[in-house]
Amino acid sequence: MESALSLRAVTKRFGPITAVEDFSLEVVRGTIFALLGPNGAGKTTIIRILTTLLRPTSGTALVEGFDVQHEGKRVRRLIGVVPQENNLDRYLTARENLLLQARLHGMAPAESRRRIDELLELVGLVGRQHDFPDTFSGGMQRRLVVARALVHRPRVLFLDEPTTGLDPQSRRAVWEYIESLKDSMTIFLTTHYMDEADALCDRIVIMDHGRALVDGTAARLKERMAHAHVYELQFRANAERYEAMLGGFPFVRSLRRTGDTFRLCLAGEESLKPLMDAIGTDDIRKLCLLEPSLEDVFIELTGREVRE
Amino acid sequence: MFKGAFSIWNRDMLVLRRSLFTELLAVVASPLTFYLAFGFGLKGYIANVEGVPYTVFMAPGLITMTAVSAAFDESAWSMWFHRKVQRTIEAYRVTPITVYDIVIGKIISGFTHGALKGVAVAAVIFLLTGFRVAVTHLAGYLAFIVLGSMIFSCLGTVCGTLLDKPETIGKVQAVVIMPLIFMSGVFFPVSSYPAAIRGYVTAIPTTALFEGSRVALLAGSLNGAYLAILAFSAAVAFAGAVAIFNRKIEE
Repeated sequence: MESALSLRAVTKRFGPITAVEDFSLEVVRGTIFALLGPNGAGKTTIIRILTTLLRPTSGTALVEGFDVQHEGKRVRRLIGVVPQENNLDRYLTARENLLLQARLHGMAPAESRRRIDELLELVGLVGRQHDFPDTFSGGMQRRLVVARALVHRPRVLFLDEPTTGLDPQSRRAVWEYIESLKDSMTIFLTTHYMDEADALCDRIVIMDHGRALVDGTAARLKERMAHAHVYELQFRANAERYEAMLGGFPFVRSLRRTGDTFRLCLAGEESLKPLMDAIGTDDIRKLCLLEPSLEDVFIELTGREVRE
Repeated sequence: MFKGAFSIWNRDMLVLRRSLFTELLAVVASPLTFYLAFGFGLKGYIANVEGVPYTVFMAPGLITMTAVSAAFDESAWSMWFHRKVQRTIEAYRVTPITVYDIVIGKIISGFTHGALKGVAVAAVIFLLTGFRVAVTHLAGYLAFIVLGSMIFSCLGTVCGTLLDKPETIGKVQAVVIMPLIFMSGVFFPVSSYPAAIRGYVTAIPTTALFEGSRVALLAGSLNGAYLAILAFSAAVAFAGAVAIFNRKIEE
């Protein structure tokens, strides 16, 4: 199978900081690929290298066989980019934003008009096409950015955290657009929403500190955790006290709290007894063994400390 | 070639058309105030300057000042806004256009703003005052305006590219741009400077711009040395703006 994207031993340094180190990757044409990682893992740096915005310090990056460093213009003809922040032109209407994109891609006026009509229909903005983006909700702006990235029919679409900050309905809508594009292009997305990667992607790489940690389908990554002991523990009272206790146990490898319910991954089944001995049973409302999620894989690999 | 620059210029002109009246109204107010305050307020105190009434002496400099200030403002603020606030520069950079298209498009937009606003001030001064010039002098004058606007547009582009805080752009305007303009012959002839520093002042491109443009408009004569200084400065400013933009966006 042919690769739409290739990264070969790519390293990117910013002064003394190494953002990406010796990173290699092949993404097969026509697939949806997700790069997961905590803040500062190097995901955006990789997208910026692949979209010609940054030059790698060393290594080679190819998009549809074209070198991003030496054939940048050819690469940019083939890609569409949805950046992390909506960078729409607030002084142009929705339609004018799309029209400018078509012009920058050298599209003929008649073809641009047809394509823009089609995209406005796709993203549900026909009725608002003559309005300025400032008057749009976050979800509508995001849909317009996606439409802008598609104006010139790219062969590879890059989405950098496409649903960050959106409400659940808008997230679902963006997911639907992404899924509808699946057959016509290769999609490369970065996210830190595990459900997004789980729902959309054919293949996932989790990275941290500029390096790839694991690579596979969501199902295969979760299989890695099959040996893991993930429990849900709910307390009747004193959740704060128990949170501090649980966080202090060396055999608790990951811990997430939602209200008075904790999801914790233990180092092994032998850890259950010392855990129960330490916390007792007085305040426990519920204790059950869970199927590991992609988020458990993520936390297991990247740790639970909050990143700056 | 430069289709991308044209598209960016076209975008800027579309935005300008939407607010043309208010833009022109705002830009005319300041030079007209100078003209009325200095030209008429000081009329009784200032006799002819270099053989012409003070209001006539001042008018070409005010028109030129409006044009080049507008070119600087548009380029600096537009580049800063598109780079730091809207981040549209990044949207442009993932399309097949080159960085040269972006910087040339922005420089030409700045230049167009300057030319339009200069014309607006000229029209108002012509309409409201007795200031008149020979039509045949306009071509030479325009040569100075084109080069001057180009230089200031490039300087604005450099500021908008390098400076991340908007207040710093304001400081550059107050500390560098305005003194450069005011001390270079808008309100008084360079011959007023003491002989010891006159040579230095004459070597500043803004002196070539204001002195040269005034003589071109009022007397119809072209000063080749001044034009050469401006052409050289415009070439250096353009090369500098492109190189700085190119380097900055790589960071």
